[in-house]
Amino acid sequence: MDAFSMGLVAAMGALATVAGASEDIESDIGSQSNPNSQVQLAAQVGNPHRIYNKAISGEPPANALWAATAAIVAYMLITAFQMPAFSALVIGASVAALFNGVFSMSSYFGRNASQARFNQWIYLDIVRYTTPSIMAHAWITSFCIATISYIMAYMLPTPHPFPMPIIALIWGLAVGAIGSSVGDIHYGGEREFQNRAFGCGLNTMLSGNIVRKAEAGLRNSVDNAWFCTKFGGPATGMGFGLTVFLDNWRSTVFDPVTQAPYAIAMGIFFIIVMTLYANYVEKSARRKYGPYPEYKGDVAA
Amino acid sequence: MSVGGGAGGAPSAIDAKKLRIYGLVGSVVGIYLAAILNSALNTTLFSFVGAVASIFAVVMGANAVRRVCGYGIGTGVPSIGMLALGMGIIATMFGLSVAEAMGFGLLGPIIALVYAMVFGYIIGVIANKVIKFNIPVMEEGNADLSAAGTMAILGWSFAISGSLSYDAIVTNVLMTGYIAIIFIAGGLAILHPFNACLGPDEKQDRTLVNGIMIGGLAMVATGIAAISTQGLASGLLLTVIGFIVWYYFFMWYYRLTKRDASAVVGTGLLPPSAQ
Repeated sequence: MDAFSMGLVAAMGALATVAGASEDIESDIGSQSNPNSQVQLAAQVGNPHRIYNKAISGEPPANALWAATAAIVAYMLITAFQMPAFSALVIGASVAALFNGVFSMSSYFGRNASQARFNQWIYLDIVRYTTPSIMAHAWITSFCIATISYIMAYMLPTPHPFPMPIIALIWGLAVGAIGSSVGDIHYGGEREFQNRAFGCGLNTMLSGNIVRKAEAGLRNSVDNAWFCTKFGGPATGMGFGLTVFLDNWRSTVFDPVTQAPYAIAMGIFFIIVMTLYANYVEKSARRKYGPYPEYKGDVAA
Repeated sequence: MSVGGGAGGAPSAIDAKKLRIYGLVGSVVGIYLAAILNSALNTTLFSFVGAVASIFAVVMGANAVRRVCGYGIGTGVPSIGMLALGMGIIATMFGLSVAEAMGFGLLGPIIALVYAMVFGYIIGVIANKVIKFNIPVMEEGNADLSAAGTMAILGWSFAISGSLSYDAIVTNVLMTGYIAIIFIAGGLAILHPFNACLGPDEKQDRTLVNGIMIGGLAMVATGIAAISTQGLASGLLLTVIGFIVWYYFFMWYYRLTKRDASAVVGTGLLPPSAQ
């Protein structure tokens, strides 16, 4: 493996780290995915709020759409007009961000209008100042993912056999799935229930009783981005960055055609190491922090 | 966790049977009309008719999602949309390749549609009887969804390739990777309307208008893709028509939102009832 391809793999890892972080923050500003159910429930249990309610399917399909949109626009510009890749990717990401804006607004309008009986108002100022920050993060995510796809399809020594839009779709699904499982917990568990003891879990009784007030005034979704940038976003970035880096590292170090068994064995090795490490982290956290003080043992179902 | 879906058997102003007829007839007629116009006049300018035809299918699909998911499937809405397009992609390729093998390329959409409905119905039976969803409209809904997914994929694939032949679609849509955007934008056009409007005060007209709006957005995306396969004129025409459809229905959707919401305010604190 030459230095150039190692550099490419490193660049892909870096891009993926940024994409993961921005994806998580984008979904947190809009309260998408898992934490969305609490935002949706809040009005229904008598707590109308000023938090963005962006229900665009789960994160994986939504991010697959942004990434695929950016990739098809870039691919079209590169193949039909021989545009330089960098400009094409920038234009692609901009189109994806516009799509994101339309989807975000339509969900905010739709979800809140469907809660009319609970007196959940639609605030246009929220649409005006929150949607652009959601779109900006979607721009970063889709630019990074489309660039990773471009590198995989055209620049690696053994180019990926799939066309660029398909690779973007798959990485979009992956970043959404990772954001949904890694970063959302920080927003859903810690931010929406910030007034409860750390690690207390979510009692059914508390469903919908999310924090609606901020240090001054009412909490808004841009504040949530500030909070989630501290842990949820970077953790997601690390998760996705490692996924992209390790996956491409093994298929760049070992030639995927002649040394396929080694590449597969290396993949299995990574999975085993990560499973053991995850187990260790969970056990050590439980050992250090112990059960939650009010924990009264498991309740029979 | 269900996030407050509409009550079982969501009330609707337009009957599902009527919407199914509109969806099926509109999409089949539209795709054939586009194919005949394109081949008779030896042009690709009429590819946009195929994309408009897909929107009929999307409306039917969005209504089917609404009916099935109205039984309290909240988080399953995205899954069912993806399922629709997954069934659709198999049926499309099956229909087109069988028609090609038989020597009647133009029969492709009909074979795909029949196969999709049977396939969808069987998946509905499995979902109800084996997985035990016990949703009364599951079989019917899945047949509708599968048909909608198939016609949406077929219409938009036609819009990109400009021809109904299996080879043209494989070369222009599958090998270029444009199928990615058809799959995901089509899937979201079918699943997003009900997902975006989920809640106890969801209204059928608002949901379906949202579907047409997202369909317009998907048309814009296919138009961008068509620029590289059919040239600037056909691609831009498709993009511009998609944009017009999107804009018109977005404004309509906003009007319906203002009609249905408890209040649309420029800014303000929480409603008086909550303070």
